[in-house]
Formats: sequence, C-alpha cells, structure tokens
Amino acid sequence: MKHKLLPLSETMHYILLALREPLHGYAVMQKIEEISNGTVILAAGTLYGAIENMSKHEWIEPVGNSGRRKMYMITAEGRRILQVEQDRLLHILSLYEGSESDEEG
Amino acid sequence: MKKVKIFFNIEKEEQWLNSQLQKGYRCTNVSSLGVYTFEKSDVEYVMRLDYQERLTGQRLEEYKGIYEDFGWRYVKGTPLNGIRYWQKKNDHRNEIFSDRDSKANYYQRLMKYSFWLGTMCLTFSFLLYSDTGLYHENIWRMEGSMFWKAFIFETPFVVLKLFPLLLVGFFSSSYYTAYRQHRALKEN
Repeated sequence: MKHKLLPLSETMHYILLALREPLHGYAVMQKIEEISNGTVILAAGTLYGAIENMSKHEWIEPVGNSGRRKMYMITAEGRRILQVEQDRLLHILSLYEGSESDEEG
Repeated sequence: MKKVKIFFNIEKEEQWLNSQLQKGYRCTNVSSLGVYTFEKSDVEYVMRLDYQERLTGQRLEEYKGIYEDFGWRYVKGTPLNGIRYWQKKNDHRNEIFSDRDSKANYYQRLMKYSFWLGTMCLTFSFLLYSDTGLYHENIWRMEGSMFWKAFIFETPFVVLKLFPLLLVGFFSSSYYTAYRQHRALKEN
C-alpha cells in the first residue's frame, strides 16, 4: 500500500527538497520562502510537526548541531521518496503537454 | 492583575487571552489552577495555544527552540495537560500552523486529550455513584419540614458529587468541537 504521507503535501515536499543540504529548523523556513518565491511560508508549529513526523519515518535525520540548534538532512529513504514523487509529477506534466488527440488515440 | 477562569475549550481560552491583549493586557503567567497573571503593555502581542503531550527534557528544548526562532515566547506549559502558551509581537506572521494538515493534526491531538480526560471522569463517576445513592436513603422516609430541612442540607453535597459527571459533559462537548473542526479540515 502507498505510504500514508504520499502524495507529499506541499509543506513536506518543500522541506525534503530544502534538506538536500544540512539546515536547522528556522533556516529550512527561510530556504523554502526563497525557493518558493515567497509563496510558501511555514509557521513554527507546522515545521515542528513535519520535522517530527519525517524523522519518525526516517526520511530526514539529525546531522549535528549549529549552536543550540539541531541540523537536519535528508536520508537515502527520503531521497527515494523524492524520486517517487518526481516520477509521479513528471507523468502528470506529460499529460499536460500531450495533445488531446493523443489521449483519444 | 490576576484573573481566575476555568476553560474546557482550548480555542475559547485562546480567544479570551487575545481579547485581553486587545484591551492592552499581556499575559505573563498561567497557573494550573486557572489563575492568569496580566500586566499592562503598550506593545501589541498575539497569543496562540498549542497542545503537545509528553514533551520533556531534550524534546521540550527542541520544540521550544524552533518556536523561539520564529519569535514566539514560551509563556507557560502545563506538563499535566499539555497545553503550551505562546506569545509574540503582532506582525504579519501570527499563526503557529501554516497548512491544513498540521491544523488537522492539532485538532486530532485535542480530540485525544478531551477523550482521555472525559473517560477518566466517567470512570471516577461510576466509582462514586455505584456504591451509594445521591441522597441518604432514610431521607425519603422523612416527612414535612424534617424532610425539607434534610433535603436542603444535603443538596449542596449532591451537587458536589455530581461534579465529575458535569466534567464528563464539558469534555464531551470539547471533544465534539475538535472533532467537527478536524472533519471540516479533512473534507475540504
């Protein structure tokens, strides 16, 4: 059966993409604000819950500290999830791009 | 300034605290017994209540650390029931949840909380009511003014005895409120 967190919510998707480099919580929010062109701005509780949840599923893991803040990074399993999502989205994009006659044929 | 108030609904509590803020009073402490301490403040603040159970030691520090980075100040957490009081200066980023899923999870935590407290009170009520009646049995054999005197004397104790059952009612209603909010978020 499909993982209960799939398909990824916009929040989780952005967090996994941001954590391809090691970052602490607040830096994840800043990074996401930047890469989403200011359209996705995470709030504290949402970020905390998502980090807890994805750590539990071992999609991300702590990789040391920056001062008192914990740094996180994506795991191999997390990258696999991103691959699954990329394939899904590429397929949907291909449907956008295909002409209607192709769908009928 | 201190105010005493008891809430069974975390969202009503949040609304009340924010209405005090609008009058220019900032909450500086909350005690487990429902005593809220306020001080006059010229700066505009907002208050948000989160619910997180069993956060202690290192995990509590991590939780607080993330919120504090976002500018929230931890007013108080009550380890007994898990309500976390957060306050920050009013700016355009005043929410603690930014997506539907996390808000729905929050309502789910509230449902669990009301459910367990309600079940506890219900169990306690059964233990309390199973071995004795509400009034002493011989009161029903009395007549006239004797009966009324005894009845009036005992009634406050009966009300006190019914208190756990009253709590069951309050917790059921807060469970239902959280359930409706949760369902609304999941359906749309």
